[in-house]
Amino acid sequence: MTLQECYAALGGDCAEVLSRLRSEALVQKFLLKFPADPSYDLLETSLAAENWEEAFRGAHTIKGVCQNLSLTALYRSSSALCDALRGGQPLADPALAQQVRADYETTVSAIRAFQSQLPQ
Amino acid sequence: MKQRYTILIADDSEMNRAILADMLGDEYIIIEAENGKEALEQIRTLGTRLSLVLLDIVMPELDGFGVLAEMNKEGWIEDIPVVMISTERGVEQVERAYSLGVTDFIGRPFDALTVHKRVVNTILLYAKQKQLVAMVAQQMYEKEQQNNMMIEILSHIVEFRNGESGLHVRHVHVFTEMILNHLNQKAGGARFTPAEVSTISTASALHDIGKISIPESILNKPGKLTPEEFDRMKEHTVIGAQMLEDLPIYRDVPLVRTAYEICRWHHERYDGRGYPDGLKGDDIPISAQVVALADVYDALTSPRVYKAAFSHDESIRMILAGECGAFNPLLLECLSELSGDICDAFRQTDPFQSDRQSLHNVAEALSREKDLPVSKRTIQLLEDERTRHDFFAALSNEIQFEFTVSPPVIHFTPFSAQKLGFPEEIPRPTRDPHLLALMPSKLLYHFADLLRGTSPGHPLVELDCRLNINGEKRWHRLLARATWSNDEPPRFLGGIGKAVDIHESRTQLDKLTLIASTDALTGLFNHASAREKITNRLRERPDGHFALVIFDLDYFKSANDNRGHMFGDKLLNHLAQRLRHVVRSGDIVARVGGDEFLIFLEYKNDLEAAIKRIFNALIGEYEGFSISLSMGVAQTATVGYDYDALFQAADNALYAVKRGGRGQYLFYDESMHDTLSSISPIVQAPRQTSQEEADLT
Repeated sequence: MTLQECYAALGGDCAEVLSRLRSEALVQKFLLKFPADPSYDLLETSLAAENWEEAFRGAHTIKGVCQNLSLTALYRSSSALCDALRGGQPLADPALAQQVRADYETTVSAIRAFQSQLPQ
Repeated sequence: MKQRYTILIADDSEMNRAILADMLGDEYIIIEAENGKEALEQIRTLGTRLSLVLLDIVMPELDGFGVLAEMNKEGWIEDIPVVMISTERGVEQVERAYSLGVTDFIGRPFDALTVHKRVVNTILLYAKQKQLVAMVAQQMYEKEQQNNMMIEILSHIVEFRNGESGLHVRHVHVFTEMILNHLNQKAGGARFTPAEVSTISTASALHDIGKISIPESILNKPGKLTPEEFDRMKEHTVIGAQMLEDLPIYRDVPLVRTAYEICRWHHERYDGRGYPDGLKGDDIPISAQVVALADVYDALTSPRVYKAAFSHDESIRMILAGECGAFNPLLLECLSELSGDICDAFRQTDPFQSDRQSLHNVAEALSREKDLPVSKRTIQLLEDERTRHDFFAALSNEIQFEFTVSPPVIHFTPFSAQKLGFPEEIPRPTRDPHLLALMPSKLLYHFADLLRGTSPGHPLVELDCRLNINGEKRWHRLLARATWSNDEPPRFLGGIGKAVDIHESRTQLDKLTLIASTDALTGLFNHASAREKITNRLRERPDGHFALVIFDLDYFKSANDNRGHMFGDKLLNHLAQRLRHVVRSGDIVARVGGDEFLIFLEYKNDLEAAIKRIFNALIGEYEGFSISLSMGVAQTATVGYDYDALFQAADNALYAVKRGGRGQYLFYDESMHDTLSSISPIVQAPRQTSQEEADLT
C-alpha cells in the first residue's frame, strides 16, 4: 500500500497535503502519529460525561489536525460536530458524533494497514 | 555566525506543534507550550528573547485571546510579535485578534512555505521597526537642531547690534516656554498643544529683529532718549512685523505668523497704554503678552548701558508691583508661582540643555506612546533586581563581580568595590593596576583561560588562590560561571563570579596537616609522613641510588635515668638540630621513635664517605653527655625499592651494630637477614592496610 492508496482508503487528499508539507517523509511521519493523538479519546470521554466544552475542544483539535494532514472525510465530520458543540451547546444530534466515530475508525484502520506493511 | 531566533509555539495539539516545528526547521530555537498558562509563563520568563509567538486560539486553561489580553496588560505585545494560528476564520475572530495586537494570521491547514515566509517576515519587520524608530528620532533631532541654529544666528546678529548679552534671546525663549507650559498646567493641559508651545517659544527669538533698522546711536545711547529718539525706537515693532509680512514665501507658516504677532505687539500693555497699536487686555495675542513679560524680566535682570542688573527677587517684585509695565493678572500669577524655577533655569550653564531634553522627549513620544510605560517598567524591574542583588551581596560578605569580554570590563558590586578599595567598574582588567595588585597577572590569565575553557553545558570554574586585599594576602576560592552566546558556535561573552574568603579554614587545614606530619618535640617529620614521602620519592625515581639510615642514641636510657627526662628531651632536640644541619636539603630526616631517627638520602658514588661524614658530625659531647650512635644503613642497590624492605634491612643492620658493641655504623648485607629488630613494635612503620594496623594496637 502506498501513501497515495492509504489516503484514498481513508478519504483524504494526498496531493493536497504533499503540496503543502512538501515532503512525503514528513507527511508519513505525522500520519503515523495520528492514531496516538489523544484528542479522539478526549472527545469520546467528554461526550460520555456530557462535558460539552471539553468535547468541543476535542472535536476542534481533531478538525485542526485533519485539516493539516488533509484527512478530508474526518475533517468534514469533525468540523460539523465542532460547529454543533460550539459555545458549550449540548449535542442535539447524536448522528454527528456517530459520523465522526465511523470516519475515525476508517481513517485509523487505513493508517494501521498502511503502517503494517512498511519495512520496519 | 548567524543568530538563532527563538519562537514559542502555543498550541494544545502536540501534532500541530510538531508539524509547525518541523516546518520551521533548525533555523529557529523552538519552545512549546500546550496551553495559555504555560505560554504566558514562557513569555514572562523569556521576555524579548522571544522573537515570535505562534498562538493557537482554542486551548485549555487559558485560550489564545486570554494570552493576548494578558500580553496587552503587561505591555509585552509591544515588544513581542504574535502570529495567530487557527482554523477559526470568522471575521469577528480575526478582527478581535488584530485589535488585541496580533501581527498576522496563519490559517489551517498549514502550508510549509506560507508558515516559513510569515515567520521570517514578522521577525524582520519587528527588528526593522525598532531600527526605524531610532533613525527617525535621530533625524528629527538633527533637523530641529539646524532650525534652531539658524534662528539663533539671526537673533544674535540683532542682539550684537543692541549690545545685549548673548543670552537674551535664549532667556526669552526659556522663560516663554516655561510660562506657556505653566499656563497649560493651570488649564489642565488643554490650552496649548506641544507644537504651539514650541512655535511660540521659537518665534520669541525674533521679537527684536526690527531693531536692525534703528540707528546704533539710538540703540546704544547710554543716557535717556529724547522724545524723538524714543519714537524712532518704538518703530522697531512695526518694522519687524513688516519684515516678516514682506517675506516672499513662508508668510503663512505658523512660525512666521506667530513671530509677526510677537514683533508687533510685544510692547503693548494689558491696560492699553502700550505701543504701537494701544491694544488692550486679551486683544493682545497671548504670544506677544508672554514674550513681553519675558523681555521685561530679562531686561531687568541684565546689565544695560543705561542701568545695572537687578536681582531676580527685586525684578519679580518690580513686575508684580506694576512698576515695569502692565500685564495680564493670569501671567503675573504664573510668574510668581514660577519664580524659583525661573531663577534656577537662568543659572543653567549650557543654554542648549533644555532644548535637548525636550527633543529627547519628542523622540521618545514618537517611538509610540505605549512604549514609554513599558520601558519604564523594564527599567524599574532591572533597578529592583539590582537593588536586591546589591543588598544580598553586601550581606554575604563576598566579593562579587561580573565581567564582559567585549568591551573588556569587570564590574564589582558596590560592597565589593568598597571592600577592595576599587572603582566599581574596571576596564581592561588584565592591565589594571588594582587587579594586578590583587593577584599576579599569571594567575589572572590562568583564571581567564579556565573560563574560556568552559562550555555552555559546563560553565563553572573554581580556583583556590591567595588574594592580596589591602596589603593582606588571604586565601580565597574563586567561583565563576561563564556566559556563552546562543550562536553556533557559541561565543564566550563573559560571566559572573565571586571570591569567598577561605583563609581561616585553609590555614587551619595547613596547620593540621603540619601537626599531623611532624614530631612535636623536634619538629622533624614523624614516621608516617616520612614513610609517605620516601615511598613517593622511590616511585618517582626508580633508577636513583638511595640509602635509608636508621640510628639511635647509645645509653639514652641512662641519660634519662641519671639526668632526668627534661635533659633527655633537650638531648633529642639537640641531635635533631644537628641532624638537620648535616643533611642536604633534598634528604628526608625523621624521628621514628623514642631515640630513633631516620635519614633517607640519595648518593652518587661514595655512600660510605657520606655516611661517615654524617656519623662523625652527629657524635660528640652535649652538656657533659657523650653522644654515641648505633647506625644501620640499607641501600636500594642491594635491597630494592620497597620501603618496608629497606626499613627492615636498615633495622637489621642497626641490630647487628647493637649486638656488636654499639658506637658504629654498618651496611646491611644478606647475613643480617634473619636477625631481630632493634626497633620496638609500637614504633614500627605504619603498615599498608588498616587491618594490619588494627592488629598492632
